[in-house]
Amino acid sequence: MDFEWSAEDRAFRARVRAFLEKELPANWPEIARHGPGSREQTEFSLEFCPKLAAAGLLMPHWPKQWGGGDRPTWEHFILGEEMWAAGEPRGAQYMNVNWIGPTLMRFGSPEQQQRYIPPMAAGTAIWCQGFSEPDAGSDLARLRTRAVRDGDDYVINGQKIWTSYAGLAHNCFLLARTGDGASGKAGIAIFLVDMKTPGIEVRSIPSLIGHGDIHETFFTDVRVPASARLGEEGQAWSIIGYSLANERVGIPRYEMASRVLDQMVQELRRRGQGDDAVIQLRAGSAAANCEAARILVYRTVEMRSRGEAVDAEASLARVAVAEAEQSVTEFGMEFLNDAFTGDDHPVFLAHHERAIVTGIAAGATEIQLGLIARRWLGLPNGAA
Amino acid sequence: MRFTPNEDQAAFLSVLAQMTEAPEAGWKASPDWSRFDYSASLDRMLEDNGFFECAREPTLGLVAAASLTYQLARVPALVECAATSTLRALFAPDLPRPVAVIETDPLQAVPFLPTAKAVIRLDGDKIAVAQLEPGVVQEVSSLFAYPMGKLAAGAKLDWQTVDGDVHDARAVWSVATAAELAGCLKGGLDAVVKHVSERQQFGRPLGAFQAIQHRLAQAATKAEAAYWLALRAADRRTPADAALALGYTQEASGRVVQDLHQFMGAMGLTLEHPLHRWTYRARLLRAGLGGPTANLRAYYARKWTNA
Repeated sequence: MDFEWSAEDRAFRARVRAFLEKELPANWPEIARHGPGSREQTEFSLEFCPKLAAAGLLMPHWPKQWGGGDRPTWEHFILGEEMWAAGEPRGAQYMNVNWIGPTLMRFGSPEQQQRYIPPMAAGTAIWCQGFSEPDAGSDLARLRTRAVRDGDDYVINGQKIWTSYAGLAHNCFLLARTGDGASGKAGIAIFLVDMKTPGIEVRSIPSLIGHGDIHETFFTDVRVPASARLGEEGQAWSIIGYSLANERVGIPRYEMASRVLDQMVQELRRRGQGDDAVIQLRAGSAAANCEAARILVYRTVEMRSRGEAVDAEASLARVAVAEAEQSVTEFGMEFLNDAFTGDDHPVFLAHHERAIVTGIAAGATEIQLGLIARRWLGLPNGAA
Repeated sequence: MRFTPNEDQAAFLSVLAQMTEAPEAGWKASPDWSRFDYSASLDRMLEDNGFFECAREPTLGLVAAASLTYQLARVPALVECAATSTLRALFAPDLPRPVAVIETDPLQAVPFLPTAKAVIRLDGDKIAVAQLEPGVVQEVSSLFAYPMGKLAAGAKLDWQTVDGDVHDARAVWSVATAAELAGCLKGGLDAVVKHVSERQQFGRPLGAFQAIQHRLAQAATKAEAAYWLALRAADRRTPADAALALGYTQEASGRVVQDLHQFMGAMGLTLEHPLHRWTYRARLLRAGLGGPTANLRAYYARKWTNA
């Protein structure tokens, strides 16, 4: 066993940090204050990602055929840590790099690949993810948005909610039902929809988690060509299974939590509170939670890097990540409460607003706990 | 980064797995309802095959010793392993075993002292060792699932200083304690999972109830993180990583132990079920090297003040 980074990994991380050092402007913390979906951060990403692409750092793990570098899983992961911890200067484009691009490479038609992958590789494509609906959140298979075949087209009607990044997105990775209402998982298809198509209305939902992050998205007689369908009718569930397995652990949130905790401790030390035994204990505990999350996440990345399938290990990691984020945000609110008033600490504010999403977005903690119970501990399936 | 054992470690762990699955490692009630069941035959099997010396083997190392300690903590039978396979192997390989460790107060009761042939002291600024002559140890009764004893008042021991940095030795001992505690949590968790999978109430297994599933899943998350943090600390052998692994595991263990007993119900309150073997080792180990408060503060100090 070996828990250290290789020299190659360390060199790669140093390269990413040097790039960020050079390219992030002095007012970057203010730009990043309102989250990856905000207008400021989205506009920044459209300047930043092309530079990242030119430096070979946008999607180094993608195959060469699609402009990538065929680099190892760990480099993709180190890149994700550094970007997220810096406040995510890629804005919403991290989704393209992590799973939308790879999913299109695997399941897209040649036409879809030619149309959508090059702009992702150039760093100029903004996508949103049309999954959740008012009556279908954790129980996603209940979604009701319908896509009805009409000659060479589909006509889509329905409503999505909590749609991240929809306000500024160029395209939507949309789940819609092509089967009848009772068709469950087997009646769902994926559509790649141009957000400028007539009949799409996006309303931003005022929220606690930054600007432009969550929306209601209405589809009224939205007509798309059949060629916009990704894969076959009914194939959506297996395709998104692949997509999520590709990026199951999700955002490396413990890295930002860990660095923000570090800044909180430095601030408390500046204020002369570094010798307070309670602060030392609570900071040590929050830091330990970050490291617990980190090592469980690394374990899944390491499995993936060896080509081993990751199952409940990803759920263990996600539960630990949620705990780590919460302990850092609680620590800050308890001992640096005044830093959450006013604009002096944009990084603390930005972290807090990102942290309260953990445990809800991309698979609630309770879903993860159920998966651990059944797939890791082998407990019987229960209905209640 | 590689989370899988190397070839030698894999062979070591596979032979070890055969031994921990042998009947002598398993559950049998002690004839006098004593809280522990020392397995002399498992001890001999491990000693005769050189398992306790693994920390000195370049291709096995402290990671193997931590794994050994973890795996033995998972079984109901007791063997003195943590101190022997880490401190003794690395700092005093000629010391007779079993070994007991005095961490802080030389007059406090510590595990294994009544049966130990030697003792290692980490409470000063040097690593000190002494062999134990008959009559110097007083056995004491305790709740904890170890033979407990303390040095008799006025006992004269021939303390010898051994080479090595006491801070390094304390880090190694923290790793061993973290690994043993993580193994106790895992052993207890496995027993409780088996129980709630079999025990039926309201027409279905207890383990089908979500209230139980979720808390056991949280316990499993902590136990798994504890395991990997202990192995990483063994690999790195730094005071910061050791304090992190031990502090995290000790803090997590309080709630995990409570939940394990909760879900074992009345059965877990008896000496007829082995759950207490794991939880009453864990309750002692939770206080090891100052307990979670001291170890998490030590982690703070190493991380933020270079102390």
